[in-house]
Amino acid sequence: MIFNSLIFLCFVVVTVIINHLLPQRFRSVFLLFCSLSFIGYYNLESLVAVLVFSLFTFYISRNVRGNRVLYVAGILLNAYAVIMFNYFFATREGFDFSYTAISFNINSFIIALGLSFYALQNIAYLTEVYFGRWQPEISYKNLLLYNSFFPKVASGPVMLPREFMPQIDRNAITQERLITGFNRFLLGLFKKMVIADRLAPAVHSVFDFGDANCGLTTLAGAYLFTIQLYFDFSGYTDMALGIAKMLGYDLKENFNLPLRASSVSEFWRRWHISLISWFTAYVYYPLVYRLRSYKKAAAVLGILATFLISGIWHGIGITFFLWAFCHIVYLIFELFTKRLRSGLSEKPSYLFYRLAGIFIVFNAVSFSNIFFRSGSLSSASLMIRNLFSGFLPASWLRDFVAPLAVGGHQVDEFNFYISIFMAAGFLLFEKTINRLANSEAFSFYYTTACVLLIFLLGIFSNGERFIYMQF
Amino acid sequence: MKEHMNTSERLQQVFRKVFQKGDLLISPSTTAKDIRMWDSLTHLELIAAVEEEFGIKFSFSEVMQFNAVGDMLLAISRKSGEI
Repeated sequence: MIFNSLIFLCFVVVTVIINHLLPQRFRSVFLLFCSLSFIGYYNLESLVAVLVFSLFTFYISRNVRGNRVLYVAGILLNAYAVIMFNYFFATREGFDFSYTAISFNINSFIIALGLSFYALQNIAYLTEVYFGRWQPEISYKNLLLYNSFFPKVASGPVMLPREFMPQIDRNAITQERLITGFNRFLLGLFKKMVIADRLAPAVHSVFDFGDANCGLTTLAGAYLFTIQLYFDFSGYTDMALGIAKMLGYDLKENFNLPLRASSVSEFWRRWHISLISWFTAYVYYPLVYRLRSYKKAAAVLGILATFLISGIWHGIGITFFLWAFCHIVYLIFELFTKRLRSGLSEKPSYLFYRLAGIFIVFNAVSFSNIFFRSGSLSSASLMIRNLFSGFLPASWLRDFVAPLAVGGHQVDEFNFYISIFMAAGFLLFEKTINRLANSEAFSFYYTTACVLLIFLLGIFSNGERFIYMQF
Repeated sequence: MKEHMNTSERLQQVFRKVFQKGDLLISPSTTAKDIRMWDSLTHLELIAAVEEEFGIKFSFSEVMQFNAVGDMLLAISRKSGEI
């Protein structure tokens, strides 16, 4: 049940209606039932794993406060869940981003469904209870709903116990929330179907055909993947937040205009915020706190540990390691050039500094994403070889337009320009669009525009799945 | 009051040294948002320098709860036995 599939849409509509009609005291049980059905719909393995790991976590948490042995056992158990499932995923199917195969290659992501995000939340819960910052749950149902709530189980946002638990059994469904939730859901659907999926063929063509493209075409492919990934993942998050809101829950924001970041550390404060704040709270700070007397060396070690673990969390393989390595290098560079950059930002003008920063960060992130997107080291190295050999195309039409506007006909070219226009327009007016989507007053124009654009320009045929669902 | 001023001034010196900015001014309401270089990468370097200056140790939960310079000043006073 992919978020942009018809069956999921029906599932959401039915769930929202029944949840709304039910008396408050039955809602959490009903939502748990829906969440478990959502997981079980793919395969029973995942469902059984979720139930078993939650049960372990539930019993461990009852006695974990101050008990280091039990705490470490609980962490290892949940870390094992992440590694085992990612490992299965990597060896059984390999990472397949293929444009045509992706919708049929469901097996690969079933294995990993939810467990990566699910385990992070279990670890957060155990840690909070261990340090006495959160009381152990007396209800297995509540713990299960916290870590398997269906809008967030597949790809986050990662919620901490104090952010989610108090919302259970809170009566929070109002007409305003139904409207804003629905509008947010539409925004996500728009981002996914009208922007991300329209860019997918161009990205696929540059990354997966193994052609010797010229530098400019390869660069365009890498840029477009970063934009595709952003719209795909933030679109997913908008849909998750929208659905949760219609069901009476507020999930954490995951993106804050990340492509406008002017340093990589700022990028990580704006991109996948819930994941990076989990890593900051549970990996980076505890480690650097212990080593703080070593000053900058402690921060360097913290960055190393955080991104190596984050790389492994995303998937076991050399490409994810290299992706993580890029960010380690960027962040360490920024750590040691802070003063220099702070001085530079004041001359010649702050605006110029910001714009230059945004351009450099976008390039740095797009470069690291070559590893993130490439299925293997050989295809990543081909991309990098292409990037640095013969930058300008010999024939504009044959070497630049044709590989990006897949298909080669005039209509494909026109279609590609529409995609670029939509993505650029959205990025330029993103703040205004977000404000409209979050406004509490029902905006007839906003809803109509979204629905019309989705039907006119959305990609329906291939059911492109969300890139982040595999993690 | 004089004691408090001294603590503030000493803290200001630490901030200036860590962020390498000789004219940096802090007040109890200053937060990480006001100082561009103060982020998660430099937070603990700052903490280590404060601990060194005042000869105290902060607990992990204290470190995580410092939202503004004022919180830090209070914790320093408490640790140095002034309150």
